[in-house]
Amino acid sequence: MKEKTLRTLSWGWWLKNLVTNKNNLYTIIAIVFTLLIIGVLNNTLDNYQIRIFNLCAIYIILALSMNLINGFVGLFSLGHAGFMAIGAYTCALLTMSPEVKQMNFFLKPIVPWLANVQLPFPAGVLIAGIMAAVAGALIGAPVLRLKDDYLAIATLGFAEIIRIVFTNLQSITNGALGLKGLPNTVNVWWTWGIAIATIIFMILLIKGSYGKAFKAIREDEIAAEAMGISLFKHKMMAFVIGSFLAGVGGALLGHLMGTIDPLMFRFLLTFNIVLIVVFGGIGSITGNVISAVIVTIMMEILRVLDGKMDFGFIEIQGIPGLRMVMFSLILMIVILYWQRGLMGTKEFSWSWLGKISRRVVFRTKDC
Amino acid sequence: MAILKTDNITMQFGGLTAVSDLKIELEKNQIAGLIGPNGAGKTTAFNMITGVYVPTKGKIFYNDMDITMKKPHEITKLGIARTFQNIRLFKELSVLDNVFVANHLRLKSNWVSSVIRTPQYTLKEKEMHEKSLDLLEKVGLIDVKDEDSYSLPYGMQRRLEIARALATKPEVLLLDEPAAGMNPQESQDLMSFISRIRDEFNLTILMIEHHMQVVMGICEKIYVLDYGVTIAQGNPFEIQNNQKVIEAYLGVD
Repeated sequence: MKEKTLRTLSWGWWLKNLVTNKNNLYTIIAIVFTLLIIGVLNNTLDNYQIRIFNLCAIYIILALSMNLINGFVGLFSLGHAGFMAIGAYTCALLTMSPEVKQMNFFLKPIVPWLANVQLPFPAGVLIAGIMAAVAGALIGAPVLRLKDDYLAIATLGFAEIIRIVFTNLQSITNGALGLKGLPNTVNVWWTWGIAIATIIFMILLIKGSYGKAFKAIREDEIAAEAMGISLFKHKMMAFVIGSFLAGVGGALLGHLMGTIDPLMFRFLLTFNIVLIVVFGGIGSITGNVISAVIVTIMMEILRVLDGKMDFGFIEIQGIPGLRMVMFSLILMIVILYWQRGLMGTKEFSWSWLGKISRRVVFRTKDC
Repeated sequence: MAILKTDNITMQFGGLTAVSDLKIELEKNQIAGLIGPNGAGKTTAFNMITGVYVPTKGKIFYNDMDITMKKPHEITKLGIARTFQNIRLFKELSVLDNVFVANHLRLKSNWVSSVIRTPQYTLKEKEMHEKSLDLLEKVGLIDVKDEDSYSLPYGMQRRLEIARALATKPEVLLLDEPAAGMNPQESQDLMSFISRIRDEFNLTILMIEHHMQVVMGICEKIYVLDYGVTIAQGNPFEIQNNQKVIEAYLGVD
């Protein structure tokens, strides 16, 4: 009895701490404000723009999940597309209605234990994440003993294996035909809700003791181990959490597209996320959020390059892929001039904002 | 009773025997030195004690517990901390975080409670924070606590590395060339610093050192290695007059 009151008391203290801390209050206000903006955008943007807007949120989730593994723990992992595939397929198969499934699987009928399953979308997303996390744990246990490039090759290989397996499991994944007609449940509230939750989760994780242990491993594995940090435990932790988020991101992406097939989860998809992470700053949550939005929108704006262009004196008959050439160029420029990306390892914080605004105010006063 | 004892440990890398039949016995609160020419196997001995290498032969006992097969992080948790010959700080982390992270091994909360900031976790984190500040105060680095650790001058980096090792709450501290690259005045300061932390934190210290002034001035017991073989052991006076040691350092006619 006494212990129980003590616990509720301390949770009350915890809640009080949350509300009375000025920075937390700012954060809560900022979140409410962001939600308002999302609401307004949701009502003003057209369908095409909303799709891009959703994509931004999904890429934020994916970039942060990769950043946790590659940026904070310093593991060079390129297996993201594989975990996303697992998430996307799990969620799709769990949420599609039996009739749609029957229509999809015309070459070979779906396995009976999946044929009549239909779960609500949130459950599907959650299980998608869990399946990806389980895959992450299974892959991570042997592979995380490797370092640097070797780890990159091994994880890349695993992602490809997952894709090939999915191409050949005709009666479960419908093979190369893919799945069509995924329930159209994704809207801005889902994508941005999960994205904001991911951002908050990452900030709390990284600012805590475990986050510091992750960074210590990134800085110097040998010293970290000598300071009593279990390398395997912490690497696994980050890898599994990252896989979970990748699975969730994959599930959302699948439902946003409405159709998935194994070809979607090629290395190119991992490369897109790497691009965002490097561009934003390896090891910066703020940088990744900014660059996820910029890169996703740029991908659409630069679509012009793929089409027909008329310069008056010369007319180009559309070169498909020119957009990606542009992206490679941008990435090269970023690597050359801002080796550490937009933000490096720096983060946005309220005190930083206060410092900047004070400086601006003083400067205007001087003038 | 010896707090740390190595029972004839041998380390072979292929055909090369880096350390053979090393026998170290440390009494509680002792400061002992491990000296020898370059390549004598001193750091290898450290790596065996801290679990980086598993000895080819022999056993290591800590408080009568066999720790030969334990992993480095488990050994640190048991109470043996070390510093490195070439400073290995967490470069991008602040001075404070370098020390803070060394408290992480005593954290009992799991990552979920760290994310939702449970009251237990918050309290513990606060305690870790205060302890780190306290430790920085004691080693005289409190003024630079927010600097990035790589920006510190060399001597301070050495001291920070020792502070970080102390934050893991060790009973035995292994120092790998703490006075490397220091001028006589700095090594003098380091000597008094080491004996001060020994008394303050109730430590047993084993150090590898090349500065004879430091070794002879501070160590109560000295082991001399040459090509992996222990050629002498004893108190500073005995070592200074040992013919084999003189030959190992100066050569034979």
